[in-house]
Amino acid sequence: MILPYLAIALLTLATVYSAIVSFRQTEGAAPSWIFPTAASRPTRIIVGSLGLALLISVGLWLGLGARNNSLRSSRFLIPEGYTGWVRVEFEVQGAAPLPMEGGEYVLRIPADGVLQTSSAEQYGWAKDHYYYYSAQSERVIPASGPDELIWGRINGEESGARGKRKYEEFFVGTAEQFNNQMRE
Amino acid sequence: MLPFCLYFVAAMITGFNVYTLLAMTLYGVPFNPLEFVSLLGSLCLMIAAFISLFRPYVAARVALVASLLIWSFYGPAIAKLVRTKVNNHSVLSASLVSHASPYSQSR
Repeated sequence: MILPYLAIALLTLATVYSAIVSFRQTEGAAPSWIFPTAASRPTRIIVGSLGLALLISVGLWLGLGARNNSLRSSRFLIPEGYTGWVRVEFEVQGAAPLPMEGGEYVLRIPADGVLQTSSAEQYGWAKDHYYYYSAQSERVIPASGPDELIWGRINGEESGARGKRKYEEFFVGTAEQFNNQMRE
Repeated sequence: MLPFCLYFVAAMITGFNVYTLLAMTLYGVPFNPLEFVSLLGSLCLMIAAFISLFRPYVAARVALVASLLIWSFYGPAIAKLVRTKVNNHSVLSASLVSHASPYSQSR
């Protein structure tokens, strides 16, 4: 969480410094370490090369990180008409692993809204899908937009009598229902 | 060296910060068009860092414009944060949601 504050501090410094240099009278002013003139040729080559190398390294790191993080998406199947909190508990001993269908993990939520699985929680970026299911059919639950029905998605870890447990929770319902739930 | 380091590090940190925010769109978080303006500003600030090795005063002007582009995102964001805190509005955070969840009460 320090990143935004660091970004703002550095941005403030860069803005103030560039403004001072931009509007400073340069005639007759002697160069100093704070207001230097152009760097010498060897310095330019060394600093420029190092800067470019660092940029390329960061670009590669971000690119490879994104590739390694390509986790599979999840398909949440929620009982038709269910409204309220859904909770998925991961790495529960004795529980069934999550099945896979069409390259997606399938999480069939029982009627009480709590699913336990022995599978590990997935971290990274993926687009998950939500469906209401009944004996006859499945229908999409909008997870964004004006008709959104999925709210307050969180991941966490808790310690208790049953040991450490990783979980994921989200609310299924209208914005009004979610807000009412938050106020309770 | 000072202008190069300052512009370079500022561009990297602000750029990475906004990049992580933009990456959240993959989770369905709505994006702010000003994030793209800010990212463009970070790119310009990076260019200013390299220009500063040759022409520090031209680089300073480029950096100033770039900084203003970045502020176009951070300025409103800071203002909104301050306004939220002043008005004592509840911020939807993970901890709040966690406390509202019925499961958290049975822990």
